[in-house]
Amino acid sequence: MAEGEWEQAPVRKKHLDRNSEGTDDRPLENGMDEEEPNFSDAEDFIDDVTDDELLGDLLKQKPSEAVGIDSVVVVDNIPQVGQERVSKLKNVIRKIFSKYGEIITNFIQKKMEKLKANVLKVSYPFLYSYGDIPDDWQPPEKQSFVDHCNLRWRRNDRHLKNTPSEGVLVEARKRWTETFVRWSPLGSFLATMHQKGIALWGGEKFVQIKRFAHPGVQLIDFSPCERYMVSFSPVLGVNEEPLAIIVWDTRTGYKKRAFHCETACQWPIFKWSPDGKFFARLSSDLLSIYETPSCGLLEKKSLKIPGIKDFGWSPSENILAYWTPEAKDSPARVTLLEIPSRKELRVKNLFNVGDCKMHWQTQGDYLCVKVDRVTKSKKVQSCNFEIFRIREKLFPVDSVELKEVFCFQQSFIELNVFSILYRRNKEKKQANSVFWSPTGQFVILAGLRKEHFMATDVEWDPSGRYVVTGVSWWSHKVDNAFWVWNFQGKLLQKCAREKFCQLLWRPRPKSLLDKEQVKEIKKNMKVYTKQFELKDRQNLTKASKEQIEKRQKMLTDFQSLQEYLEETFKGLKEERLHLRGGVDTDRFDSNFEELEDEEEVEFFLGEEITEIDEFEYE
Amino acid sequence: MSCMKPISLLGHERSITQIKYNREGDLLFSSAKDTSPTVWYSINGERLGTFDGHGGAVWCIDVNWDSTKVLTGAADSLCKLWDTQTGKELANFENGSAVRTCGFSFSGHDVMYSTDKTMGRSCEVLFFDTRDQSQLENNSPYMKITAPDSKVTSATWSNLDKELISGHDNGALCLWDLKTGSMVEEIMEHTKGVNDIQLNKTGQLFVTACKDSTSKLFNATTLEHLKTYKTDRPVNSAAISPLYDHEAMDVTTTSSRIGKFETKFFHMIFEEEFARFKGHFGPINSVAFHPDGKSCSTGGEDGFVKINYFDSQYFEFDFEV
Repeated sequence: MAEGEWEQAPVRKKHLDRNSEGTDDRPLENGMDEEEPNFSDAEDFIDDVTDDELLGDLLKQKPSEAVGIDSVVVVDNIPQVGQERVSKLKNVIRKIFSKYGEIITNFIQKKMEKLKANVLKVSYPFLYSYGDIPDDWQPPEKQSFVDHCNLRWRRNDRHLKNTPSEGVLVEARKRWTETFVRWSPLGSFLATMHQKGIALWGGEKFVQIKRFAHPGVQLIDFSPCERYMVSFSPVLGVNEEPLAIIVWDTRTGYKKRAFHCETACQWPIFKWSPDGKFFARLSSDLLSIYETPSCGLLEKKSLKIPGIKDFGWSPSENILAYWTPEAKDSPARVTLLEIPSRKELRVKNLFNVGDCKMHWQTQGDYLCVKVDRVTKSKKVQSCNFEIFRIREKLFPVDSVELKEVFCFQQSFIELNVFSILYRRNKEKKQANSVFWSPTGQFVILAGLRKEHFMATDVEWDPSGRYVVTGVSWWSHKVDNAFWVWNFQGKLLQKCAREKFCQLLWRPRPKSLLDKEQVKEIKKNMKVYTKQFELKDRQNLTKASKEQIEKRQKMLTDFQSLQEYLEETFKGLKEERLHLRGGVDTDRFDSNFEELEDEEEVEFFLGEEITEIDEFEYE
Repeated sequence: MSCMKPISLLGHERSITQIKYNREGDLLFSSAKDTSPTVWYSINGERLGTFDGHGGAVWCIDVNWDSTKVLTGAADSLCKLWDTQTGKELANFENGSAVRTCGFSFSGHDVMYSTDKTMGRSCEVLFFDTRDQSQLENNSPYMKITAPDSKVTSATWSNLDKELISGHDNGALCLWDLKTGSMVEEIMEHTKGVNDIQLNKTGQLFVTACKDSTSKLFNATTLEHLKTYKTDRPVNSAAISPLYDHEAMDVTTTSSRIGKFETKFFHMIFEEEFARFKGHFGPINSVAFHPDGKSCSTGGEDGFVKINYFDSQYFEFDFEV
């Protein structure tokens, strides 16, 4: 029977079979249709309709045994026992493993004389047996190793270039990014943003390392170790699949986990622990800590902290600090929390708190909490600095009270200095921003838009020796440029670039030297200075050599044209003389001697008025 | 580079539109938006006299090679020919729209000027022979070129009176054959209006000043683009130094708009800027080299003409080659 017909009327076939025993049926069928049909099977009827034909659609949903060995537990090295005690051993093993799920089958196999393996099958979540592996199973082919070149090649080039000559173009590409760029925290990757997602570039030649598809991506952030990247896109996803925030693995390029973005929140939404093992996110009354690489919630649940306002990771250890404001009778609190143990290391109660700002010292030795004290009428009265000593027993807290604080910026210093800027600074200078140099020795009180007219950006270089002020095209449409200054405030160069948008210094990788070695170098600074100066000079001469070669080429090219022009000029001498009535005007002074007229020209040199006292001469 | 203190020539009441030296460089001619084109002694800045008769802003001025005649074109739609020595008007050419550029031919016999494109009138370049009194009296040019669609903003005679080079407000540069009055070549090297065209000493190269913030060097015979000098402002005027004609010629460009009213010096071959000076309280509209190459003058929107003598550094400076 044709398949098409079968599909149309599966029931009819059964009906026919039933009544006519499969032979010579058509006239009969017509006649019988009028009567009450007989639904019972003939006695010798054998149902040849398979389940597939009858309820294929339902069977499709029938759970099948999973392919894989996820449900198999192999217990190795179980004790060797004699035949008589095998069943006892089995019982013990069964007892241990039945805690984790229903055991389907188990068998003990004597693999070798000594080794015995006990294979258990656990019913949940999969059913599986070894028999399902196809006989012709081949191990997966080894993927060829893709060399992404040395991402840390810059470590080989330890010599910070000292020559303040023109910047050297490393790489320029058209349409490299569609919106902006970002460096990863250690400078290994350059991230470019595109309509379809993010691309990471790295290595000496800036080859593409990975691509991450995230339509409409607007913001990105890296974990401090560069292993993970978080991206945000406001494009709404279809279905329930979250798309707003995605955590990526930068090494494999895989999406680790995606999150919804329920509420408007600050970027970066996730704060990373210094080693990149944890990342945390704040939502109302909840602190969700996730662990990597699984990207699952730590201990499967968020921390419930009523009223939690802000938190921050220590830059050196997996310690969190968070604060909660006053509520009813309970005071405001700053808490230090150890992760992953969730042990509260220190709790500090505070009163009359308006706002708290937490600042970690770069080494993680201190935590400074700036507490704005308010009166009952909510007026900011004064300001306290609570300084937690992390390295000391029981985390003692020092408290400093200050009045009239204008602006507070943490200096990123290794020394134990925090800086406080008083309001009087504001009166003296029209400073509206403070920028610390990365090494913390210098601070810019930037009256933005003053020294560098209309400056919109200030960026310190990672060594703290140079600072760049820029006028971005994003803010102003004219005079886009960036100026490079040294730390002493000397203007080194002005680089005008039409439609200049963004300038970022590439972060330098961490120093490979330990403290002792740094000390050693500082001691022998004079020796190194000489070496570096020599290198600088070599670089300088090399650069100028290239420049000179370029000029020489231009010169020779142009000279051939000039020679040709000179020849033609000579050839047209007659014509020129003819046009100017025989006067040779080829040289500027060619007919000076013919000029007979003399002209007198007066020069006004100055005026001196002397008043003469008449009486003296009398 | 620091120039010695410039000589300031104050005589015009409004902004300067164009300045020109005569061939010997002893006289400096200036036109301004006031109605009195002026001639000065270039050596001390003394005002020699004015050419009075225009009734509107004077856009352009030129002097012939033997300094006997002066040509001016103005917004009152008149182009006038003057006697340099007496200041008498020799001819008055009437037109339907403002005269934008004017110039004497190499021989000094012929004059050329261009008119603006306004109120249905197309832009024209007209040619007269000053030896033919009938042409001067009857206002009848011996040739007329109509610019097709864009306005002529700058023009110069070229190739010993056989050709004309015109710069247009759409950035085009055109080469015209003056025997037939037809266009030989049109190039679009610039994207915006060409403010100025000046020939080098031999008349074989010319430099343009363009609103697109560049100045470019071309071969005058072939219109071949040779060099580009980039700035960050529209360039109002550009000139080629007559002094370093063998290897290091300089192109002077001036820029206008919000600050940066500077005269910049570029090496003609290397396209590199090596010096600049300020001196005006506003845009600089015109720049000219003294024929001896030892000084240059600028005319600014502030109404001053300044004569700048180069200091020893300028002459000693040389690019490392």
